[in-house]
Amino acid sequence: MLHRTEGIVLRTTSFGEADLLVTYLTSDFGVVKSFAKSPRKIKSRFGSSLEPLVQSRISFWGKEDTSLPRLTQSDIIHSFQSIRDTLSYFLKVSEIIELTLHFIPEREANKEVYSLFLNALYNIENNFNKNLAIIHYKIKFLELTGYVPKLDACGRCGRKGYCFYVAHGTILCETCSAGMVSSARLSPGVVKLYKDLLTWDTTKINRIRPSKMLLSELSSIIDMHTHHILTKPLKSSEFILLLSE
Amino acid sequence: MAQGIIENLITELIKLPGIGRKTAQRLAFFILAMSEEDVKGISRAINEVKEKARFCSECFNIAENEICSICSNSSRDRNKLCVVEEPSNILVIEKSKGFNGLYHVLLGALSPIDGVTPDKLKIEKLIERVKKNEIKEIILATNPNTKGEMTAQYIRELLKPFNVKVTRIAYGLPMGADIEFADEVTMNKALEGRREM
Repeated sequence: MLHRTEGIVLRTTSFGEADLLVTYLTSDFGVVKSFAKSPRKIKSRFGSSLEPLVQSRISFWGKEDTSLPRLTQSDIIHSFQSIRDTLSYFLKVSEIIELTLHFIPEREANKEVYSLFLNALYNIENNFNKNLAIIHYKIKFLELTGYVPKLDACGRCGRKGYCFYVAHGTILCETCSAGMVSSARLSPGVVKLYKDLLTWDTTKINRIRPSKMLLSELSSIIDMHTHHILTKPLKSSEFILLLSE
Repeated sequence: MAQGIIENLITELIKLPGIGRKTAQRLAFFILAMSEEDVKGISRAINEVKEKARFCSECFNIAENEICSICSNSSRDRNKLCVVEEPSNILVIEKSKGFNGLYHVLLGALSPIDGVTPDKLKIEKLIERVKKNEIKEIILATNPNTKGEMTAQYIRELLKPFNVKVTRIAYGLPMGADIEFADEVTMNKALEGRREM
């Protein structure tokens, strides 16, 4: 059966002599892995449309239950070339690609995640604060997938609190956390930024200018939380850390 | 009995890339019809390549000895170094006869999602070579894809403190292709890399 949809390339893996396994985040089928015949050859009809982050109109063919349909067509809608052209930008985007791949099961349509991912790419491309765009994506993505940490109030009683407990995925107030060791203490600014990122849309977020310290504090809490859920750190985060050393 | 040994040969040949059952069957019967001397020649060549092939200690190309034939060739231009991802890339560049310098094989390309970090490639060895030798130009000939581009950018950053010219191979349309079928990214790169005539 032939399927047509819109998708963003998340990952490519070399297969055989000149073939590729391409993982797409699609608007209608969720994450789809497909087999592309000979795109690595110089005169391939796929051209550069199978590079990571390229948004394209795709067609793939395969039986309903096939795990690896064959990619038959890919026409670029937007290439996001400027993100790929800059090492630091691409590394940041690699984190959200990896996060998406870990949390979204194959063939489960999720239009909201697709729109969120696409918006994040446009934000990063259009000189928006890159770090803020990445954290915004991570928080909204975790909310959509049901894994968002609770940082605005105690997860048990709803009272104010600033100590985050990673094993519980929430802030706990002094009464509820009696006898427990906190994973991190949050500043009031971080809690406020988290609330804003969770409720505001991109146009509003475009107008705020949080300090680097606040962003890095919130980022480390979110990374700690995803690390705990996945039971391992993201490879791209480790890569970024290695380069910054 | 004969069926068994032919089947065995077919099973072994299928292990090669691009060889399906039909092709393997055709090759097996062709080998059967070949002279004994030719078959022994193929068998000897396969054995030799597995026994003797190793990485050159200088450039990490495939070599028979400690140093490969390119690194030990005194007529090569030692001021120029071409950085490639895999030893197979050297064969293509050599075939073009457009480069007479030395090579450095990285044995891969950076990929954050796959966990391929700089320490897993021969990047540190490249920096050592730049420090030790009189290299004036480094040509980054990693693949023109995201992984290759990232690797090239990373190496360019590392080479900034050294007094060495760093160039990147050109991007664009392949010879014999028609502009009508070019995609927007390739066309854009071809326009960016245009040269005066």
